[in-house]
Amino acid sequence: MSASLYTTRRIKNIVAMAFSILATAVGLLFLAWILWETLSQGIAGLKPQLFTKITAYREEGGLANAMVGSLILNVLGILIATPIGVAAGTWLAEYSLRSRLGPTIRFLNDILLSAPSIVLGLFVYTVIVLPSKWLTNGDVTFSGIAGGIALALIALPVIVRTTDEMLRLVPGTLREAALSLGVPQWKLTMQILIRAARSGIVTGVLLALARISGETAPLLFTAFGNNFMTFNPIDKMPSLPQVIYEYTKDPSPDINTLAWAGAFVLTMFVLALSLIARFVFSRSKVSHD
Amino acid sequence: MTNMNEVASQPGFGTSPHASGVDLGQVPAKMTVRDVNFHYGDFHAIKNIAMDVPEKKVTAIIGPSGCGKSTLLRIFNRIYAIYPNLRASGEIILDGENILDPKYSLNRLRSKVGMVFQKPVPFPMTIFENVAYGIRHHEKLSRSEMESRVEQALRGAALWDEVKDKLKQSALGLSGGQQQRLCIARGIALKPEVLLLDEPTSALDPIATSRIEQLVEELKKDFTIVIVTHNMQQAARCSDMTAFMYMGELIEFDRTEKIFTKPDKKQTEDYITGRFG
Repeated sequence: MSASLYTTRRIKNIVAMAFSILATAVGLLFLAWILWETLSQGIAGLKPQLFTKITAYREEGGLANAMVGSLILNVLGILIATPIGVAAGTWLAEYSLRSRLGPTIRFLNDILLSAPSIVLGLFVYTVIVLPSKWLTNGDVTFSGIAGGIALALIALPVIVRTTDEMLRLVPGTLREAALSLGVPQWKLTMQILIRAARSGIVTGVLLALARISGETAPLLFTAFGNNFMTFNPIDKMPSLPQVIYEYTKDPSPDINTLAWAGAFVLTMFVLALSLIARFVFSRSKVSHD
Repeated sequence: MTNMNEVASQPGFGTSPHASGVDLGQVPAKMTVRDVNFHYGDFHAIKNIAMDVPEKKVTAIIGPSGCGKSTLLRIFNRIYAIYPNLRASGEIILDGENILDPKYSLNRLRSKVGMVFQKPVPFPMTIFENVAYGIRHHEKLSRSEMESRVEQALRGAALWDEVKDKLKQSALGLSGGQQQRLCIARGIALKPEVLLLDEPTSALDPIATSRIEQLVEELKKDFTIVIVTHNMQQAARCSDMTAFMYMGELIEFDRTEKIFTKPDKKQTEDYITGRFG
């Protein structure tokens, strides 16, 4: 009786384990495949000029302006999204307890989280790019700022969500302990809770950065692109994903190789960000038990 | 086991559950609890509690899980007020004023009534800052005054010798027992008058527990202490007065010695002899 029960269990266990291992293998296989493909196709383009020359030189050029543009756009996006996102997440976790608004805002934030990025791009086109064109008689149209705002809209819900969740993971006893010293809510929030959840919040910001650094669609109608190096945020601004997008459609094989090289650099950047995020989180994750 | 009838028939032991008539041995009451009721939403968790908490004595609150002992303690500094839908009514008189009066400032209440929780909860900062944090909120001190105040608090919590060389290190690196003594130091650093201890040793090992109990013995020279514990030996060892609660009611409140040797109520006797709970 019990022997057959154990046998059944053992078989179930083997089947379940086999499925899990298979699923993991499939996931890893595709990751390795993507890395291998971008590396093998792009290795011919991985030359110093990739990082020093700009896209205006086409086959003889590199992607320096696109990399700088991406950096500026990402930094703009994160600079806009982080304060708003951390503040909103803090409100959700710490202040919305007695308010019916909290769950509603969480729900809306989840919708924003899954909004198609091209829609966000079109939205920014409508509310930033077109008005700036009218206001400046066409001097300013597409711009780095518009691109940064579009990226911020993608990063924002990620940061709101992680801040909210990380703060809610901080044990209630820590709040009670601080409040029982007579410390007011705002001091508790700013000086203790944010500090306790800091590594989680930083991780959320890094993951948001990784997320936006690969975005193409929201930049097409906002930053637009530029074949020259620019540091001016009200100028049209190139970015790595947008150049990759343009270059893969190009008939020239050398240009395609540059696109692959760009894709490899971008993938490595995102991978590095994810690893840093993991490192930050695991290193300073303190036990509150 | 003491014969209940015999005890009840003796004069002077006729304690009412609303224990205003308890003989505190001439000790004045620090806190006077009158008709206190507490609701979690619709649930009536605390029912008509009345008791006098004697000054500079240790008062233990015992009872089975869910009897409302922690809830009662959490009314004493109104910490419950941070959650929605919780209501306390009645009077708790501390130095002549009703702390349940909404006009009584929480800031003032919490500087007078300190609390230590079940799990040690050090703040994510240095050992020094953990103690200085609360003081800084209530008082403006010079650097040297603050240093001596922190030292005094850490000495008071019997932690100074263990941490004096690492005040700048994170408090999260301390052991559980040390963290709990740090939390006590943090509480007494504000020089409160009453110290509430909510099962302060239930997350600690026996050695750390005995150190905390010794500390409680020391602390009662300066503070009025109320300790909630599910450990009856602990209540018997370190308290002067013991309150037994059951289902939100105060069943019996008397000198600890009496509660543990000849309680008036059958329920109390059943509980302390381990027949239920």
